[in-house]
Amino acid sequence: MSRRLAVLTAGAIAAAGSLAWSGWPPHSDYLPILICYEVIGLSFLVAGIAAWARWPASRLGLLFTIAGYLYLVPYILVNLANPVAFTIGNLSQGIYTAAVAHLGLAWPAGRLRSRFECGVVIAEYVTAAGFSVAAIVFWNPAFSGCDASCPANVLLVGDGSRPAGNAINAIGGFVGLVLTGIVLTLIVRHWRSARGWSRRAMIPLIWLAGAVGAEQIVTGSALDLPLSSLISFGLAPLVMLAGPVLFVISTVRARTAGGALGAAIVDLEPGASPGRLREALARALGDSTLQLAFRRPDGTGYLDTAGQPVEVDRPDPGRVVTRVVGSERAVLVYDQGLELEPQLVRLTAAAASMALEHSRLQAEVQAQLEQVRASRARIVQAGDAERRRLERDLHDGAQQRLVTLSLALGMARDRAAADPELGSLIESASKEAREALTELRELARGIHPAVLTETGLAGAIQALVERSPVATTITAVPAGRLPAAIEATAYFVVSEALTNVAKHAMADSAEVTICQRPGRLVVEVSDDGAGGARPEGGSGLRGLADRVASVGGALRVDSPPGCGTRLKADLPCP
Amino acid sequence: MLRVCPDASGRARCQTGSVQPAPAILIVDDHVGFRTFVRSMLEAAGFTVAEAATGGEATEAVRTIRPGLVLLDIQLPDFDGFEVARRLAAGQGGDPAPVVVLTSTREASDYGGRIAGSPAAGFLPKDQLSGAALRRFLARDRA
Repeated sequence: MSRRLAVLTAGAIAAAGSLAWSGWPPHSDYLPILICYEVIGLSFLVAGIAAWARWPASRLGLLFTIAGYLYLVPYILVNLANPVAFTIGNLSQGIYTAAVAHLGLAWPAGRLRSRFECGVVIAEYVTAAGFSVAAIVFWNPAFSGCDASCPANVLLVGDGSRPAGNAINAIGGFVGLVLTGIVLTLIVRHWRSARGWSRRAMIPLIWLAGAVGAEQIVTGSALDLPLSSLISFGLAPLVMLAGPVLFVISTVRARTAGGALGAAIVDLEPGASPGRLREALARALGDSTLQLAFRRPDGTGYLDTAGQPVEVDRPDPGRVVTRVVGSERAVLVYDQGLELEPQLVRLTAAAASMALEHSRLQAEVQAQLEQVRASRARIVQAGDAERRRLERDLHDGAQQRLVTLSLALGMARDRAAADPELGSLIESASKEAREALTELRELARGIHPAVLTETGLAGAIQALVERSPVATTITAVPAGRLPAAIEATAYFVVSEALTNVAKHAMADSAEVTICQRPGRLVVEVSDDGAGGARPEGGSGLRGLADRVASVGGALRVDSPPGCGTRLKADLPCP
Repeated sequence: MLRVCPDASGRARCQTGSVQPAPAILIVDDHVGFRTFVRSMLEAAGFTVAEAATGGEATEAVRTIRPGLVLLDIQLPDFDGFEVARRLAAGQGGDPAPVVVLTSTREASDYGGRIAGSPAAGFLPKDQLSGAALRRFLARDRA
């Protein structure tokens, strides 16, 4: 492609140079026209270079270049002081209009769409060349005010005939007008049937077609306006210039599409839905019809982001399917015209791939996190259940046996009244049994507080407070039952906090507040002790924070030295 | 009609001038070993004793036996002692309702305010069970 570009660029420079050289020194009257021709011809060549660079797969660059040379070369030939060149130059001056019509019909792929269109284009070339040849036979350069310094018209028959030339030009102009009408109609039909990217790509052409149509009507032979010379030498070149300029501008704008794509992906919030991704990609590509489709989980077809089925194996006419690299499920379906921008499509597919991969990884991490959270909650709940079971086993088993033993020893002691020694022995055995029972009860209570299962939070907190060696008041506690995991967590928070108050706080009093808020349970234990407790320090608070987190809650410890400690657990509670 | 003061150890108490016979006691507990033991202890203390293993059996037994006191374990396989006490107080075992004493291997504090909220006459930890303790409940009831 770069070699092609180099050849084109060199050709453009050579053509411009030749034109300047051939017309040098310029006749002062013709200088503005010379500059005008040069600028227009060059603009077509520049647009050709731009088209080749932007859409290497399209023949649009070739057509722009041909139109440019067909515009420039006749003027170079006319300016050469050579009769043959002068004649050929004059002969070929109008053929570029056929090339422009060809360009318009072949936009943007550079290919004509039907045999009819091929016929129209051939008719354009034949008309332009044929009427020029017919007219030149009767054209004496002197008719156009060309003095003796002009080279001769080698095809001139006799002295020529002004009326015959004018008649041929008038017929040629009329046929040209009809053909222009057909070409413009076809272009409008192309525009109407185009969707998405193709429609956008036709915007410069539509402007140009409108301008050419207007110019043709104004300068057409049927009309003889007083300003026709101004139109011919002022408006017509401007219209011709508009085409290449509009195309180059649209190319520059398209170049920023790559940047827009980057911005679209960067702007996409993390974990954005496929629908949002599709919108971003469509904006970046300039194709509002872009579809992002995913294979159904059962593999029976594809659905787009709106949930509509998409035919991927046999796409609709004018649609193209590209698989998103790295994703086994995702495809992009877009306007066929975008095939002219393979680089942009590749970038888009890559961006889609990255975004989908990002979403997938994020969803995966989120799912794993959820799994870990759920498994942590399950582990804690299983631990609680196990503790409840152990407490119950102790209660049903060892405690029951120790109670019976204790009662039996009591009876034995009563019956051994006659033997004081035996009585004292039984009494000490009975005392041991009672102490063992007391210790076992404490152990069971530590494993799991039966009062929590029996009465819920209010009774359990009351029991904790009653056993606390520091004077503790309960300012609030919900009376009803709560989910077991929340009750247990709230209980252990208060239990651990009161244990810490008794062990470390050197406090005179403590306060327990448990408030039920919408969707939450807030547990607070505060004391008026020494403060300075650090959550990361003691394993008790660390373990408590883990326990609170296991139900999705948060633990906060405020303990400025000398200002008491406030422990607050915020638990989710339906 | 159930016999009272049936055995040797009870006779002493009868002889010390108790005009009224000691009332029948219904032990409600799902542990057979414990029931058997308590039965022998209370019979030795002069009571007539009947047994029930579940809450359902308990209300049925109260209706037929009409015991003066029900020693009711809180933990039962069908419904708990609090529920049995509520049913008896509601007259499901006949009128008048017997004195109900709740009992458990646990301590009263393990049940928070449930014991105070129950229509039962009181709570006796199992390890403190004795004929004398039950008599105190009966005496309080008569008073």
